[in-house]
Amino acid sequence: MTQYFQDPALWALVAGTPVAATAIVRSRKKISELRKEQVELKQHYATLEEHYTEAVEEAKDRAEEATKNTLKTAMRTLQGLASEQQLAISKLQEAYGEHKILQDLLDIDHMNSQFARRAQSIAVLCDGWLGRRRNDASLYDVVRSAKGRIRHFTRVEIRSQSNFAIVSRAVEPVALVLAELLDNATSYSAPETIIEINIRPVPKGVCIIVDDAGVGMNEEEKARAGQLLSGGNSASVSSLGNPPQFGFTVIGVLAARYGFTVSVDSTSPYGGVRAVVLLPDELLTSLHEPEEGPAVAASTPLPPENPPGHQGSEATGRHRAPLPPAPPAFGGPDADRPAVAETTAGGLPKRRRRGAISIVPPAAESTPTPARDSARTASVMGAFQRGTQSGRRSTQASSEGHEVP
Amino acid sequence: MTTDDEPELVHEAAELVRPYVITNGRDLVDDSAFSLLTLVTVAQDPPRTKPLDPEKLRLLELCAGGFLSIAEIAGHAGLPVGVVKILVFDLTEEGHLYVRAPIPSAQLVDRQILEEVLNGLQARFG
Repeated sequence: MTQYFQDPALWALVAGTPVAATAIVRSRKKISELRKEQVELKQHYATLEEHYTEAVEEAKDRAEEATKNTLKTAMRTLQGLASEQQLAISKLQEAYGEHKILQDLLDIDHMNSQFARRAQSIAVLCDGWLGRRRNDASLYDVVRSAKGRIRHFTRVEIRSQSNFAIVSRAVEPVALVLAELLDNATSYSAPETIIEINIRPVPKGVCIIVDDAGVGMNEEEKARAGQLLSGGNSASVSSLGNPPQFGFTVIGVLAARYGFTVSVDSTSPYGGVRAVVLLPDELLTSLHEPEEGPAVAASTPLPPENPPGHQGSEATGRHRAPLPPAPPAFGGPDADRPAVAETTAGGLPKRRRRGAISIVPPAAESTPTPARDSARTASVMGAFQRGTQSGRRSTQASSEGHEVP
Repeated sequence: MTTDDEPELVHEAAELVRPYVITNGRDLVDDSAFSLLTLVTVAQDPPRTKPLDPEKLRLLELCAGGFLSIAEIAGHAGLPVGVVKILVFDLTEEGHLYVRAPIPSAQLVDRQILEEVLNGLQARFG
């Protein structure tokens, strides 16, 4: 044992151990400090990265916002000009109605409508103003208005009419959505094919069905279209693709904003796309009779105004005519009109046509007197005609008197 | 986003359905077919056809009371004369309307009589 005590190596070991231990402890401390630093650095880096991403996102949002604002303002000017121009064209069409130039005016009117639609679409993507009609409009007129906003509108056939009307605030949006659908339909089908529009009342409202005979869409395209049409993700001007595809994005935004649904996931009977616009009851109303002047003449039996498919309900509507008027709940402003007795299948009051304005006396007694005309209407009519005739006689007489020197 | 605060179209808005849509892009009818004074009335027994457009129904209503000239129809219907001519042409082809040439002016007034009356008046009140 003593030999070990004399061994210098032992003493060296005894002296070295604490030193080594201290060194180890120190280096361990250092390592843990370094590790801590590293973690801190990592955290710092992560925050920096986060900030950076946020900043980039913010910049992107700001740029998007700025782009939208610029475009919105520009489009607003263009929309205003287009609608002013439309009014001017209307006046010219009135003024030169009998000249050959009318043909050109009609063509210019068509181009102006397409131009206005483009401006409206871009405005919608920029959360902009769409223009608003003052009056409700019949669904048939809205569909026809939409038809007039695309280039190849003569290929569009509207197969059914309807007694429904669209409330004023939804007139332009629905027309624009339909126009975009029709634009797609005409663009993706052969030039000689027809685009067919049908209007069908359904329990939840009214469906406008657009069928084309085009190439259709594959599953991937349908899925993408469905996503855009749902309007879930907000529209962005910078992500429309190149070349930019407006249609479905615009439709999605409008459908979400005004509360109707559009789907394109079914196939049309002609092999192309079937697009269905479902308008809920909130956007629908009954047709209001336009106010007319006091000159009301005898009305005449009219040809059927419903499509052949609706003949049955039409006929029963006529037979029901003498029965009590429609329930006031559906009547709205028309409820107090006793003559509103006919109702559509959807329960809305049927449009009642008024007589014609005519200052020329009836040709002969052989003109069939409509059964629904009362004797009172006839007497009022007669009085009116006598009045206009005597009025004309007196003005003629007096003007002749003045003209002769 | 509400839509109620959207500005309305402040100035008067043009018609929703444009005339070129009403005619479905048809070319104007030949001038020789109708003049402004061509008289139009409804046919005695109109055919049963598919539903007509509102504008055509309006034309039939206007003409129901007797003969109206093309110019008068255009005025009442608020449509350009050329467009009314296309619609009247279609309705006549389909048998809804009956068209009569305008009464020639010579049948309405005898120029000689008018001149004599004028001379007489001038001679008396001159």
